[in-house]
Amino acid sequence: MSALEIVNVRKAYGDVETLKGIDITLESGEFLVLLGSSGCGKSTLLNIIAGLAEATGGDVRIGGRSVRGVHPKDRDIAMVFQSYALYPNLSVHRNIGFGLEMRKVPAAERDRAVREVATLLQIENLLDRKPSQLSGGQRQRVAIGRALVRKPEVFLFDEPLSNLDAKLRMEMRTELKRLHQMLQTTMVYVTHDQIEAMTLATRIAVMRDGRIEQLGTPEEIYNRPATLYVATFVGAPPMNLLEVTAAGGSLMLGDIALPLPAERYALLKEGQRLVLGIRPETLQLGGMAGIAINARAEVVELTGPELVVSANAGGQQLVACLPSRSRVEPGQGLPLSFDADMMHLFDADTGRRIGDPSEKTDGTATPSH
Amino acid sequence: MSGTWMTTRAWLLMAPLLAVMIAVIGWPLVDTVALSFTDAKLVGTGGNFVGLENYTKMLSSGNFQRTLVTTAWFAIISVAAEMVLGVLAALLLNQEFRGRTVLRALMILPWALPTVVNATLWRLIYNPEYGALNAALTQIGLLDSYRSWLGEPGSALTALIVADCWKNFPLVALIALAALQAVPREITSASLVDGAGPISRFRFVILPYLAGPLMVALVLRTIEAFKVFDIIWVMTRGGPANSTRTLSILVYQEAFSFQRAGSGASLALIVTLLVTVLAVAYAALVRKTAGSAA
Repeated sequence: MSALEIVNVRKAYGDVETLKGIDITLESGEFLVLLGSSGCGKSTLLNIIAGLAEATGGDVRIGGRSVRGVHPKDRDIAMVFQSYALYPNLSVHRNIGFGLEMRKVPAAERDRAVREVATLLQIENLLDRKPSQLSGGQRQRVAIGRALVRKPEVFLFDEPLSNLDAKLRMEMRTELKRLHQMLQTTMVYVTHDQIEAMTLATRIAVMRDGRIEQLGTPEEIYNRPATLYVATFVGAPPMNLLEVTAAGGSLMLGDIALPLPAERYALLKEGQRLVLGIRPETLQLGGMAGIAINARAEVVELTGPELVVSANAGGQQLVACLPSRSRVEPGQGLPLSFDADMMHLFDADTGRRIGDPSEKTDGTATPSH
Repeated sequence: MSGTWMTTRAWLLMAPLLAVMIAVIGWPLVDTVALSFTDAKLVGTGGNFVGLENYTKMLSSGNFQRTLVTTAWFAIISVAAEMVLGVLAALLLNQEFRGRTVLRALMILPWALPTVVNATLWRLIYNPEYGALNAALTQIGLLDSYRSWLGEPGSALTALIVADCWKNFPLVALIALAALQAVPREITSASLVDGAGPISRFRFVILPYLAGPLMVALVLRTIEAFKVFDIIWVMTRGGPANSTRTLSILVYQEAFSFQRAGSGASLALIVTLLVTVLAVAYAALVRKTAGSAA
């Protein structure tokens, strides 16, 4: 039995449709991240799962039971909010135990459960404090504790780390990962941060305009993006996208010919307009890898661990992340190369990925636009 | 520029305003205090110095004590009712429904009316011969015959409290509504997920956000209710049988009807002192509430 099933869920506000038929099935213990930019519908979907918003169509099943019309408190879910949403006049102890208190759990049992969770989250020394006496990170721990204490079927997180500073965000991310590994509970997590998605998820649903653009493991999303949107949304710096044309067994980048292996070229039509995607970190200096591409370095930035070079090839911009000790000067010729297996080809008109022979078709959702 | 000159200049710049304040606030106050120690009449020359006699007489008189009780009763009941009604109205108007904006605007109407208009309106409603209240109550069978609501000592004060509530609960509602809109949506959502029912939600989620602003409304309304004059003057003039006489009415009667300026002044100062005590106590309370809500 699946922990969570989202079946053809739709949501409309008047004539505006914000969710256009979402289907996701989540097995127990999975960590699903709903990833997308503002307004893509990810928070709406989470609120529908929580029962804080009503779907216009479709169904949500939690633990095999349809929860249409079921009150949030009876859905066997717990939720962590972006602004922590702690009750300002209650102590940390009562905040964590509030859900149990409302469910009339005896005080002794409640206290034991609260202390257990507090120990797990290392906040046992804060139990008597009010939320106003806590730092942002501590507040978020309390909010997570409030969700954990109820031991629900599904945990929902609505951008829980967005209000924290960069360092704390990284720490809490690791903490969440540790909690998930330890508790093996089902989690649904909304974020617009692709690093959070990549690091936390067992599966990512990349959303756009109320649809799922791609649903897959972080590796699938990163290594085999189904569409141009997914390709550019995940990865930093973003994937290089170069407009090319298939001609005579090669991809023509302006007047530069990039010869393709025959089995890759066989999937293309002569004269077809394509977008060639190359992740900056797969570009190598020199002609060591399969396909060579001669560029001209324009801007060189040392970030510490790597050298980020902005370059021009065939009149188009591309970025390469090279080892920090590489010797590159602005204005200088930049011989780059990349492995044919590491390149991504997209149809220039539809934005859809053009599969390569080595890839099997995965469970990606079909974007229907 | 020397410090002395700066100080002198500052005083020079403030002087005109200080002069005006001394003339319109300081002097009358000092004069009232001086008057309260005399047996002066409203007309004629200044009276003789009588020491604390006006105060002791006034504080020990049954009239003053009864009036104080009436005033306190009026203030406590009307303000309590206004707070409850105001919060309930705000909770209602904070829900999403069709026509909410129109209703919000309409709610302000009683508060926007001048007190005299409101008082006259309620006198008509309470009229013993053609009043709407009598008509309504007899028609639905709750009343056998028409009553003189404002003419009977047993019902006059209650009738006044109702009229005062009708006028002033919108202010409380307005303040509460503004506070309700500041309750973060996520906290309300969290309480729904946590399983809080309407009462728990009000107590643990909404009330902490309402407490501070409501305290301000409470201070303002209590002080106003304690000083109430106009609505009572228009509706009952303190009658019947002094059953609706509040401290401000007593001050007026003492100073102007009985023309005893000296004892009237002492009474006015006693009322001022009482209101000041209330204001200071409430200010301390507001600070405490604001501190705990932060």
